[in-house]
Amino acid sequence: MRRQEQPTGKTFATNAEVDFVVIGSGIAGGSVARELTAKGFDVLVLEQGRHVPPSDMEHDEIGAFISNRWTNTPEQSPQMYRKTADAKAEQRHFLQYARVVGGTTLHFTGNFWRFRPIDFNEFSQRGAVPGTAVADWPITYEELEPYYTAVEYAMGISGETPTDPREPMRSKPFPLPPLNVTGPGVLLEVGAKKLGWNSKAAPMAILSREYKGRQPCHNCGFCLAFPCEWGAKSGSNWTMIPDALRSGRCEVRSESYVHRIETDDTGRVTGVLYFDKDKKEQRQKAKAVVLSANGAETPRLLLMSTSNRFPDGLANSSGLVGKHLMFNGNVVADGLFEHAVHGHKGPVVTRITQEHYIPDPSLNFFGGGGIDMRFDVPAMIKTLSMPTDGPEWGAAWKARAREWFTHSASAYGHTTTLPVATNSVTLDPELKDAWGMPAIRTTYKEHEHDMRLFKFFQDRCKELLSAAGAKKVYASPFGDAPGSAVHLLGTARMGNDPKASVADKYHRAHDVKNLFIVDGSSFVTSGRGQPTMTIQALAFRAADHIAQFATRLEI
Amino acid sequence: MTDPTRLDPMVSRREFVAGVSALGAVWLMACSREQAAVAESASMPSMPAESSAPPQTLVHFSSEQGVEIEAMASRIIPSDDGPGAREAGALYFIDRTLTSLAKDQVPLFAQGLEALSTAVVKRHGAGQRFSTLTAEQQDAALKTIEQTPFFGAMRFATIAGFLALPKYGGNKDYIGWKYIGQEHTFEQKPPFGWYDLPANQQALLGRVL
Repeated sequence: MRRQEQPTGKTFATNAEVDFVVIGSGIAGGSVARELTAKGFDVLVLEQGRHVPPSDMEHDEIGAFISNRWTNTPEQSPQMYRKTADAKAEQRHFLQYARVVGGTTLHFTGNFWRFRPIDFNEFSQRGAVPGTAVADWPITYEELEPYYTAVEYAMGISGETPTDPREPMRSKPFPLPPLNVTGPGVLLEVGAKKLGWNSKAAPMAILSREYKGRQPCHNCGFCLAFPCEWGAKSGSNWTMIPDALRSGRCEVRSESYVHRIETDDTGRVTGVLYFDKDKKEQRQKAKAVVLSANGAETPRLLLMSTSNRFPDGLANSSGLVGKHLMFNGNVVADGLFEHAVHGHKGPVVTRITQEHYIPDPSLNFFGGGGIDMRFDVPAMIKTLSMPTDGPEWGAAWKARAREWFTHSASAYGHTTTLPVATNSVTLDPELKDAWGMPAIRTTYKEHEHDMRLFKFFQDRCKELLSAAGAKKVYASPFGDAPGSAVHLLGTARMGNDPKASVADKYHRAHDVKNLFIVDGSSFVTSGRGQPTMTIQALAFRAADHIAQFATRLEI
Repeated sequence: MTDPTRLDPMVSRREFVAGVSALGAVWLMACSREQAAVAESASMPSMPAESSAPPQTLVHFSSEQGVEIEAMASRIIPSDDGPGAREAGALYFIDRTLTSLAKDQVPLFAQGLEALSTAVVKRHGAGQRFSTLTAEQQDAALKTIEQTPFFGAMRFATIAGFLALPKYGGNKDYIGWKYIGQEHTFEQKPPFGWYDLPANQQALLGRVL
């Protein structure tokens, strides 16, 4: 069996001033590192989490779903949560993100949807929404399109040229054909056809063919929440990071937890302070810093990096660092089918429908979304989370569990949520993490538009399952602040007005010339369900501009 | 949460799927050190290889307690049309997690076993234990505690012990996976089920493959 080998990179001395320190090795940080090294710059990537070698990539449901094997843990990184600013905060593991080299793309599903033009200018098209900070992005789909294409070819995205005329322009076809359709994918197509909805092969960051020396998907089925031992799922750990290391100009320093970005009297960044794997503090000097730590850790680090010059946190003259926290709505309905689906084999998602990408404005909610059909989790979690309308133990449960495992599929609605100023990441005044640094305190409550949107999408999910022939359809509860949240967006939004945004359209912090902020926190609005592709396209675009600034000595 | 072991399963899965370990947070409020140890010891090769020998001794329960726990687990997942909790060695999973991931549930299990034993004696007379009852009597006894946190924890742990990776002590030789239909392999070949069979795709969607 041929396996991917991880290249080694170079090593920088801490007292050497590197061109760029990139904080975070997820899809944003990894992409920035790949692109900047390709343009000849030295890049040091500092990653909180550990490197995960292929030998560590097990089909371990306990690790993936219970003991936080890949993610931030409540023990090391406790968090506080409150619904509103006047509520008492409680300790709760609310914001979830992987804490490993590769970031959350180590174990993601691989949904790789582009945004459409409306996702950048819905404010202009629809108008303001009371109680929100809905705004246009400072860039357009057309500006980002070349980077979407570059990303598709760098990653080897699988997909098919859309037939839906509502889809936007694409400058090149997908580099790889779609993934082989699975049972849930066929069911989506059957349901959509019956309802007269458009459906298509899902654009996925999973290889359908060998690509750039990486193996295609072998359909093992342990995908969502699991790392890919084949290297077929195109996480940053299998794509961007190895490319950056192969350049010979990159070091990825794992288990290096940056807790402060340092600045001098003139307000320029001089480097970072971090805890190494022994919790010993180290200082790394840098000419510029790119912050790609995710929608939770990016604002937290800025808020922790206070100084006389930046008393409210670095790059926070707008007061917006940490504000406008958004996720993507995630509504689910499950169906039990007559015949064996066996959706536990193959990729999680192979077909989607975006028929309701832009729902009728009379429905009175902002945004929209898309739906996939999937088999989401392996046997242990699947059977522990069965519908409760039958025996819960004994022989009858056992038979029911086997039927549920082999004959069910789930429709997932992925949607917009709105930017609300009071939804935020701040520093808890009391609680500290295992390194003695302030814990995250999240304040989050859905906007009424969000709840209407979720209801609409769940109804469509139920409709799709019924049309696909489900014998029974079950709807899961949604909203009212999810049990925990992923897709962490909007907490350092980009924009043209320094008073209304944290970074400019090139991701440069308005307040700090040699600090760039590139990740989900850059989002102005949440889009419609799948942010990773756009995070990565933003990172490619940012790196392009950052390299030009550096070449022109404008950093 | 008033009862950490009886989760709303649908909510839980939605949370997992959102990338989560909400269930872990409540099921196993346990200690980071043990979790770290589990993660560290996980550096064994992940490709199909002989797993380490299944456990045959108890590290937490006494042998008497082990007999009762196994008897309970065998009613939760009986050995009827195929192997059950007993053949999967769910007892050893439960035993081991009580010294690591589920350490905080030690009192819950101790008190639960004690209460069950008292109830059995009261109902069936001195000298009787849960494990000595008939299957019908056992089911009736479990019915009476169905809504308790102890039973919820037992049920959860039994299912997990049937289906978690064997390195955690249960799912001996992947017996639970085989029963439910989950293969231990890193490679699957289509077609996978009924709906993606080419002939059925053609019939359902009118396409020729």
